[in-house]
Amino acid sequence: MASPGAATLPAPTEARVDAVFAALADPTRRHLVATLAAQPGATATGLAAGLPISRQAVAKHLQLLSRAGLVSSRRSGREARFELQPAPLADAAAWIGAVGGEWDQRLGGLRRLLES
Amino acid sequence: MQLYGCVSNLPHTVKRSVVLAAAPEEVWEAVTDEELLSEWLAPEVELEPHEGGGLHCRFEDGEERHGEVELVEEAERLSFRWWRDGAGPSRVELLVDAVAGGTRLTVIESRLDPGAPALAAATWSAPLARLRLLPGKLVLA
Repeated sequence: MASPGAATLPAPTEARVDAVFAALADPTRRHLVATLAAQPGATATGLAAGLPISRQAVAKHLQLLSRAGLVSSRRSGREARFELQPAPLADAAAWIGAVGGEWDQRLGGLRRLLES
Repeated sequence: MQLYGCVSNLPHTVKRSVVLAAAPEEVWEAVTDEELLSEWLAPEVELEPHEGGGLHCRFEDGEERHGEVELVEEAERLSFRWWRDGAGPSRVELLVDAVAGGTRLTVIESRLDPGAPALAAATWSAPLARLRLLPGKLVLA
């Protein structure tokens, strides 16, 4: 049986993955990430226009996404423009891939146990 | 860009489903009996299959995970949280269903927000019910 432990991520990555999952636990923030994927460089005002919440509330969510490393901002005139940063999402995707691989192995073992 | 597409669905849940040529009772035993679990889950498994019961696994590479049983619905559903040192906890739900030709075992593992307080069994059954409403899709509880 291959070792499920082989999928362990290095500790700093684990911490980053936790931050990413915490940031994405909120549906508004997931919506913001999806919107920023389609509209790179959007402003908080522009993002708030598509949501039933205030610009201030959007700015707070963006701050949280930014702390998780998912979003970066740059000044452009009076407003900040926001962009996605793909690296933390890649870490989260790595977790999903690793855990899926672990279960594939374990369930293969279970099948051998029950069907032999 | 494909990476972002999955975010709006489910960023932190993994789901696997297999149909086994075995009776539901056999599958249930295989997911709740320590000795059988140590044949496929990890080489060393200790499990108290009741709510609040402890879980301890040691994998082949020496990695250890500790956990706690959250829910047991006899012959149908087992759910536990587990974690290893330095990593956030995740919740594993194992569902056993009789199907034509055998038994379907569905595994859902969801990464939990390490900052969130532990949820009581009574409060997390609702989001899990939502998870089950959307089979085959990665859905955030």
